Amino acid sequence: MLLKFNASIVKESLLLLRDKAGLAMLFIMPMALVLLMTLLQDTTLKLLDERRTPIFVINYDADTFGVSVLNGLKQARFFDVHTKLNDKALTEEELRRYVLEGKFRVGIIIHKGASDALRNKIKTEIQEQFPAEEESLFEVDHDAENVLPRVDIYFDPIIKNDFKNAMTSALREFSYAVEAKMIFEIYAELIQDITDIEIKQNNGFQNIIDFREEYATERESRMVPNSVQHNVPAWTIFAMFFIVIPLAGNIIKERETGLAMRLRTMPGSNLPVILGKAFVYFIVGIFQAILMLMIGLFVLPLFGTPALIIGSGILPLFLITIAVSMAASGYGILIGTIATTQEQSSIFGSISVVILAALGGIWVPTFVMSDMMLKVSRFSPLNWALNGYYEVFLRSAGVSDVFGYIVLLILFFVFCIGLAFLYNKYKKSLS
Amino acid sequence: MSENFIQIKGLTKRYKHAAEPAVNKLDLEIEKKTVFGLLGPNGAGKTTTISIICNQINADSGTVTIDGKDLSADRERIKRIIGVVPQDIALYPNLSAYENLKFFGNMYGLSGNSLKDRIKKNMLDFGLEHKLHKKIKTFSGGMKRRVNLIAGILHKPQILILDEPTVGIDVQSKNVILEHLKNLNKNNDTTILYTSHLMDEAEQFCTQVGIIDEGKLIAVGNPKAMIEEYKTCYKLEDIYLLLTGRSLRD
Ligand SMILES: Nc1ncnc2c1ncn2[C@@H]1O[C@H](COP(=O)(O)OP(=O)(O)OP(=O)(O)O)[C@@H](O)[C@H]1O
Ligand SMILES: [Mg+2]
Repeated sequence: MLLKFNASIVKESLLLLRDKAGLAMLFIMPMALVLLMTLLQDTTLKLLDERRTPIFVINYDADTFGVSVLNGLKQARFFDVHTKLNDKALTEEELRRYVLEGKFRVGIIIHKGASDALRNKIKTEIQEQFPAEEESLFEVDHDAENVLPRVDIYFDPIIKNDFKNAMTSALREFSYAVEAKMIFEIYAELIQDITDIEIKQNNGFQNIIDFREEYATERESRMVPNSVQHNVPAWTIFAMFFIVIPLAGNIIKERETGLAMRLRTMPGSNLPVILGKAFVYFIVGIFQAILMLMIGLFVLPLFGTPALIIGSGILPLFLITIAVSMAASGYGILIGTIATTQEQSSIFGSISVVILAALGGIWVPTFVMSDMMLKVSRFSPLNWALNGYYEVFLRSAGVSDVFGYIVLLILFFVFCIGLAFLYNKYKKSLS
Repeated sequence: MSENFIQIKGLTKRYKHAAEPAVNKLDLEIEKKTVFGLLGPNGAGKTTTISIICNQINADSGTVTIDGKDLSADRERIKRIIGVVPQDIALYPNLSAYENLKFFGNMYGLSGNSLKDRIKKNMLDFGLEHKLHKKIKTFSGGMKRRVNLIAGILHKPQILILDEPTVGIDVQSKNVILEHLKNLNKNNDTTILYTSHLMDEAEQFCTQVGIIDEGKLIAVGNPKAMIEEYKTCYKLEDIYLLLTGRSLRD
């Protein structure tokens, strides 16, 4: 048993080491992939950040309302708020034209006296709550009694309705916040008049409303990695699973050249030979993983990305890597056993790995997937692998946290090898 | 004492999707120490018969008994006493002769110095000692055939089964191979079962021949005795053509 296993390892290692082109492919392809994809996504993320929606605000109300709304908008991360163009304020007419032309996505005009109007409205309402009072509590400007604070919003015609709704409701919330602040001020003034106690306003109201980017999901897998944390493990897994193609090719070549038939005439189980083969490719997978992690740690930062941070200790990382490589080599053995020709195995092998990768969140991270897809993704071994790495990189997981994924991946390996073994027996009696 | 070392009864095999069986109720008995030549036109079922004996494929029905043991019941034991030399070169082109032979020796449970010595001795016997560490892909057709053969005899099998071992090689290579097989038969009592299309070769080399056509054995016996029996024939080939006809088979 052991002799066969060792002989198989020696043979496969020699074959692999002599296939320089194949070996180079196994290491250069994933290296290129991880570098390219990480850098691409990193710049996309940066671009997205820079591409905040440009809006222009004309504020004629240099008072509480106007200033609060303007500051609120400025604080919201996804607006790029302008109040001047080439150091000049715009007229309403100009603003409308620019928005129509798409220079700004949104134009906002806060009209003069908006704060006063709001204050007036509040005072009137308070006054009405104290009808018994003979003399009025405030000096209410009765001419302006029915004037409401006026804000005009112009949208770029191409802007989506969702965005419009979000924008209007955001503005409405701003004005509620300002209103609340004013109510407080007015009461404070009133109470001070009556009681002579000075009430200090704290800054609590300043930030009642602010925009915050939230991923509107209630899932456990809400770990949101950065470009490096996603791409390094993702493409490592992808590359490790791509050994399916050389491994399956190797098995089919053995069959086509009559070597498999010759091996069948030899005594003892064929399992150690299969396992020896799987082992060599398993080791290749481990080396791929080490290489990719090195890239994440040392090479990517040279291109200006954040360095990969291995949150946990080395042990969970090591164990999950072993499990992934086992799963990949087992899958290769299975494909090589079931496929009948080289073409079949390389086409089926690569397509199935790409599909499992897509489902597993290698291309598109699972945290942006729909719930349906998320359910489907749970069936991909590449997803178990990716989640395992996420645990390690994002949550500083211990061995017990990744244990479930490790068990799943090893079961997948056992399943593949077992199925391949049974299929071989079945095929022999069939042919 | 002569015994039926290999006994085949009613062996039948039809490949999936094939209309006719490749081997059809074949009966064959081979005594120990025989050099048996299985002759027949292309597609007669020679390789199929051999593949069943060598455990490469399973028969649909019929029995194969080797050294008194039923093949299907005692596969592992029987595999150990059989050496197989396939029709096609079944070697790793990117490994050297030595690496190939070491691997196959290991598969038979051989290892260490005894394996090394056997490899070297056989390479020497077949005139390949200078090629020991060269890759198989750099070998000529005749050299490959010889290494292909060595891979089947390293474990000193009691039965050596060869599928057209002399196809496509020059007279020199062929003579080395046949000479060596004769020695194995004489010195080690190895029973040899081999297939061929070459009637002259079979006439010279075999102590027994069987002619097979359409999966059935149609004649069997000592080649010289057969020539005497068929009065009109001067050579084995004449008998062969008489029995199998002159038309193409596949
Ligand atoms: N794997 C296979 N699947 C289907 N049919 C097969 C297979 N192998 C052989 N056959 C068919 O079985 C028959 C016997 O083939 P076999 O290879 O045993 O003949 P052979 O006597 O060895 O011929 P040759 O002298 O050409 O080697 C032929 O008709 C062949 O086409
Ligand atoms: Mg044949």
